[in-house]
Amino acid sequence: MGIHSVGTSDVEAVRRVLGGDTEAYATLVARYRDRLARYAVHMLGNREDAEEALQDAFVRAYRSLERCDDAARFGAWLYGILVNRCRTTGARAAKRGRVFVRDEAALNGVAHASAAEQTEGEDVVRWALARLTPEYREAFLLKHVEDLEYEEMARLTGAGVSALKMRVKRAREQLQAILREAERV
Amino acid sequence: MFEPDEELIGRVLRQLRRPVTVDASLDARVMEQVRRHPPRRAAGAAQAAWGWLTRPRTIRLSPLGALAIAAVFVAVVLGRPDRSSRSTAASGREFAFVVVAPRATTVSLVGDFNDWDAARTPMRRVRQDESVWAAVIPLTPGRYRYAFLVDGVRWLADPAAPAARDDEYGAPSSVVTVGGS
Repeated sequence: MGIHSVGTSDVEAVRRVLGGDTEAYATLVARYRDRLARYAVHMLGNREDAEEALQDAFVRAYRSLERCDDAARFGAWLYGILVNRCRTTGARAAKRGRVFVRDEAALNGVAHASAAEQTEGEDVVRWALARLTPEYREAFLLKHVEDLEYEEMARLTGAGVSALKMRVKRAREQLQAILREAERV
Repeated sequence: MFEPDEELIGRVLRQLRRPVTVDASLDARVMEQVRRHPPRRAAGAAQAAWGWLTRPRTIRLSPLGALAIAAVFVAVVLGRPDRSSRSTAASGREFAFVVVAPRATTVSLVGDFNDWDAARTPMRRVRQDESVWAAVIPLTPGRYRYAFLVDGVRWLADPAAPAARDDEYGAPSSVVTVGGS
């Protein structure tokens, strides 16, 4: 799927907002809300932080809208802002000691007790994803869940294509190892 | 046919790709904030600061430095007292971040002060025929990590400033400390 332009609809909405029609921004919020929410929820590991990052990204995008050079790529531009917001929110959460899994010991217990039944369950996948470093999780989600090209990922993250390929590869390897280990217990 | 490990990742991806919906009240919260904060316009303090920055002046570079510019990036951070009375600029002294990037197409200043958002502080060429890029931002006293993002992909620390040791993402960054006055 990736970040696709949705053509004149975005262009028209951006044009209207920049022309002073603030309410036109609601169209863009509704259009991108759920799609961006998926990335934020998986990246940050909890809905509360994800909604905060998402809300902040939309507001920042609005306030900086005149800097969106190509309105047809508003979605990609907004995505870049969200990626940065998730980095900041994730770093703050980590500093607060809330490292994506609120009670890792308890979740470890859940995984150990019923990993065989939960291999496809959300808890195990969320738990495994949370064990990746933020860089690996970010690269994995952008590549395999959001289906972006590496060049687009490089633009969004500021990392080089080679580094991103390595992060995706390592993320896959680590996820496989974590989930295999959970299956064995 | 998938290898077993591929099958495992495939199952993970099927789950992660499921649609995620958020509370529809998010739209209302966003719009409430949006109505309170009109989009920023390039005017006022920013333009005044830019005028100050782009005023003709000599940038001192040694011959050795000029040679270095051909291959590498050189950056300096200049500070000056705040003379603006407007909103954000009024909250601190203005600092000019300057980087020499001869081959760059775009350069952004990113750091703790703009949440590492490349869209928020694009740098501008001081003169069209020169390689100097600059951005002026207000900073209140504190310690800030920052870096330059060149062409949207190349992450550069400031060679003229101390390196940050506590970057969470592994990318090079620098530190500027603004003292109180």
